[in-house]
Amino acid sequence: MTTVAPPPVTQASIDRRTKLFNRICAGVLVAFAIIWLVPILWTVDTALKPNAETTETTWLIHHPTLESFRTLLAQGDVWNWYATSFITSALTAAATVIVASMAGFALSRMRFRYRWLVFWFVLIGIMIPQQVLIVPQFREFSAWGLLNTYWAVILPQIPTAIAVFIFKQFFDGLPRDLDEAARVDGAGFFRTYWRVVMPLSRPVVSAVAIFTFVWSWNNLLWPLLVMSNPKLMTIPVGLATVQGTYGIRYADTMASAILGALPLVLLFLFFQRRIVEGIAGTGLKG
Amino acid sequence: MERRTLLKGTLAGLGTAALAACSSPVGAGLAGTPLDPGTVDYWNLFGGGDGVRMTQMEDGYRQANPDSKLQAVTLAWGNPYYTKLTLATVGNKPPNVAVSHLTRMKTLQSAGLLAELHPEDLGRHGMSAEMFNQRAWQAGLVDNRIYAIPIDTHPFVLFYNTDICGKAGLLDEAGQLKPIAGPDALVDALTKVKQVTGQYGATHGINGDSATPWRLFQTLYAQLGGEVLADNGTRVVFDDAKAGQVLDLLHEITVEKALMPGSIDYQGAIALFASGAAGFHLNGEWEITTFQTAKMPFSMTLVPNVFGAGGQYAVQADSHTLVIPRGGTRDKAQLDRALGFIKSMLDQSMTWAEGGHVPAWLPTVQSDAYKKLTPQSNYAAAADAAVYDPPGWYSGSGSDFEILMSSAVAGVEAGQLSPAAAISQVRTKLSDLASAPSPV
Amino acid sequence: MTTIVETVSPEVAPVTTTERNTQPGHTRPALLMLAPFLILYVLFIIGPTLYMVLMSFFDGSLTESGLGKFGGFGNYAEAFGSADFWSSMWHTLWFTILTTPPLVVLALFFALLANRVARGRAFFRLAFFLPYVLPSAVVALVWIWLYTPEIGLLSKIVTTFGFAEPNWLGSPSLAMWSLAITTVWWTLGFNFVLFLAGLQDIPRDLYEASSIDGATPWQQIWRITIPLLNRTTALVIVLQVIASLKVFDQMYIMTSGGPNYSTRSMLQYVYDLGFTDLRTGYAAAASTVFFVLVLAISTVWVVLTRRQEQRF
Repeated sequence: MTTVAPPPVTQASIDRRTKLFNRICAGVLVAFAIIWLVPILWTVDTALKPNAETTETTWLIHHPTLESFRTLLAQGDVWNWYATSFITSALTAAATVIVASMAGFALSRMRFRYRWLVFWFVLIGIMIPQQVLIVPQFREFSAWGLLNTYWAVILPQIPTAIAVFIFKQFFDGLPRDLDEAARVDGAGFFRTYWRVVMPLSRPVVSAVAIFTFVWSWNNLLWPLLVMSNPKLMTIPVGLATVQGTYGIRYADTMASAILGALPLVLLFLFFQRRIVEGIAGTGLKG
Repeated sequence: MERRTLLKGTLAGLGTAALAACSSPVGAGLAGTPLDPGTVDYWNLFGGGDGVRMTQMEDGYRQANPDSKLQAVTLAWGNPYYTKLTLATVGNKPPNVAVSHLTRMKTLQSAGLLAELHPEDLGRHGMSAEMFNQRAWQAGLVDNRIYAIPIDTHPFVLFYNTDICGKAGLLDEAGQLKPIAGPDALVDALTKVKQVTGQYGATHGINGDSATPWRLFQTLYAQLGGEVLADNGTRVVFDDAKAGQVLDLLHEITVEKALMPGSIDYQGAIALFASGAAGFHLNGEWEITTFQTAKMPFSMTLVPNVFGAGGQYAVQADSHTLVIPRGGTRDKAQLDRALGFIKSMLDQSMTWAEGGHVPAWLPTVQSDAYKKLTPQSNYAAAADAAVYDPPGWYSGSGSDFEILMSSAVAGVEAGQLSPAAAISQVRTKLSDLASAPSPV
Repeated sequence: MTTIVETVSPEVAPVTTTERNTQPGHTRPALLMLAPFLILYVLFIIGPTLYMVLMSFFDGSLTESGLGKFGGFGNYAEAFGSADFWSSMWHTLWFTILTTPPLVVLALFFALLANRVARGRAFFRLAFFLPYVLPSAVVALVWIWLYTPEIGLLSKIVTTFGFAEPNWLGSPSLAMWSLAITTVWWTLGFNFVLFLAGLQDIPRDLYEASSIDGATPWQQIWRITIPLLNRTTALVIVLQVIASLKVFDQMYIMTSGGPNYSTRSMLQYVYDLGFTDLRTGYAAAASTVFFVLVLAISTVWVVLTRRQEQRF
């Protein structure tokens, strides 16, 4: 546009130029995507080898085997870790959805006293880095005798201020006529929330539920502190803490990595669109 | 809809599976009930050859006690291990029995994390004070009370390549290393070996090694009678003159005369010795397995008495002990199971000794089988000359104290610090730690 | 970067003046519906925050109940005078400096490319975003294996090209770079998705108009896309800085802060001092200092996400 004598531009030349450019883009991107997949493929490749074969550093597998998976699953602790991870993540997700959506509903729909005060009070919550609170939180749960119980993992993860704002924002976008009609029909606030608003909020409910589940599943620092007994550890804590038996066992380690990741990978494959839209949709636009 | 049904089905299935497969941990997680009261939960920090031997001993216990369930867990060595043990004890779910270094057990005890062991309970399982190496036993007592059962002493030792030392004329007729006494003799021996190997006299781990430089320093410094801390770590009694004497010698054999590589990591130091590029190697005795596996001609002996001219010998060491964390045994049956396990470990001391450790259990030490075990029995005397890390809440194996001492000593050996600079660095850091309020 | 929900930006739609009026009969039910959240929030977030500040003035111990002996500002004085405290602070900043530019620039680059590719979106999303949903422990195990001396895949690739094998995690000068590489691989997908969403909001006709004016694709990117993405980019940067500052997992598992403490981050310093050295009072003081730092940067984030046109 700044050239002094622009060459004659035809539609065809633009198309050709753009097409070529796009093709180069695609090529570069595919190359990077493959680089990004290499660690994952290498993990799977290693896990399918016998342990002794892993020192060869080759993609070839001479004797493919599921032995490593069998060994791991035969040891009891992996199942205990799954149990802890599933129970704590599921309960955290469920509780977060309920607690945060009620608060979001109140902030979105109700005109109560001190509303601005509550609003700012909760807003501070999204700025507080929870990980920095490990010392006082640990003292708290230690004093209550709740260490090494699921509640120690679940309870501090429930009050997620950001979830309240995600719900509030979603509710703000819902037409008010519906719930006002319900109110006119004599339904209380809670009934309106539960019967009218929540059924319309499936996308945001599932987004918050999935995120909280993934976040809770992947949390390391806090469960590392409060779940110190190997029988009660979550999967990430168990993988990070407990050393296996001895000798060369890279295949076993990679198999354990796959077992730790598998539930989340499945969750991702099933809800790929929802997860990605959730990240993109919850507020960053605009 | 299909997805939802699937999800529901999965959750329901997992729920029942979880409950059926392991009702006990789930119960503990939800309601804080005790975990498997009938098993022996045992935590240790052994990797490598020690790990292999410990697994053999655990299997030995299982065979001898088919009715008792043993669950052994291995955690990462050093600070991470002690952090976990502390957290689990504070969190009311400690193991029944745990390994602790003798030098770390004092801090655990003063933090109130260990159960006291009573002589009458020990007696019931055939253990009493006089059956243990007295140095290790006494070092483990707190106000004459028992909190830990030592299973070994693991001194810092000298590995030597018998071929190379033979060529250097350092062996006697029996093929044993002739005693090396005094700093000049040490330099002389290293020089002779260097002439044979063409590269180095000796090696030990330096770069990024948070323990070996301290072990060597402490051995030589203690031979001079030097001490680092007093009054449970609240007072620094570091002796600049003695430390200077040790550091000057280390500086001489690394930086000045290149008899020892000054910039090499733990694995590299092992590799140089194993490949014959050095005739001596300084390390903990547990590396015996590595060199046996390498099928090289080597033997082991006490670290030379370099500075203890008056016949006074000292060598840095620590002991592995078995402890029962506070709340680790809730009733007599559990206590007896735990003590039975400890006794079983002691009874298998011979297996443990094969890995290089000097057993603390005298019935094994005095047995013919152990006396015939070479080269292990060559340095059994080290157990009686063992110098443990000074008491203090920040001291002990794998602690901040060892790390700060090691990094200063390693700095001298690598030529990055002068001995005087290293001493002042140690002084500054130690006084920071000593003046910090003790958490126990 | 273990948080997902936390890093999703709030669209804080503020209360407008007309909505501020209190309506009769709303207060009681509203407080009831807020109660579960507020109670948990006070118990587990606000309460501990205040307690942390209180603890920081005492010499508390992990194994003793209560606050311990009063020490005034002693813990703060010790922290500010401690070389370890400052080096952990520096490692945290250094990690942030090493990770933020590639995580922002590469993610933007990939998103720009992906935006031009018509087919295979699902594949790219899978490739770049899948690592992000993996637990940190899994990522760490995988990369420890890739970095393993001699037989690790990365070491092998480097030696195949004739270079000396780097001591990825074992060398104090290199370890932080290795952790940064791992982190870029792990968390890039999150920023990628944010940028993709931002790109989709740019109206197509802007491109069409400019290409009729003869703009090359390259010019379009520089003159239309990047300026219009400004807001997204600013947000991604701030989110990334916050996430990088809170790093713990990678170091804890892959190097335990070593070699020789060269990768110990601020959170690990707090962990070490509080739970290994048992000095909870001192750890609370170090936490408080760090807390203020992260809070300040988070404030920037909240200010950024607030819509300019809607003021409270």
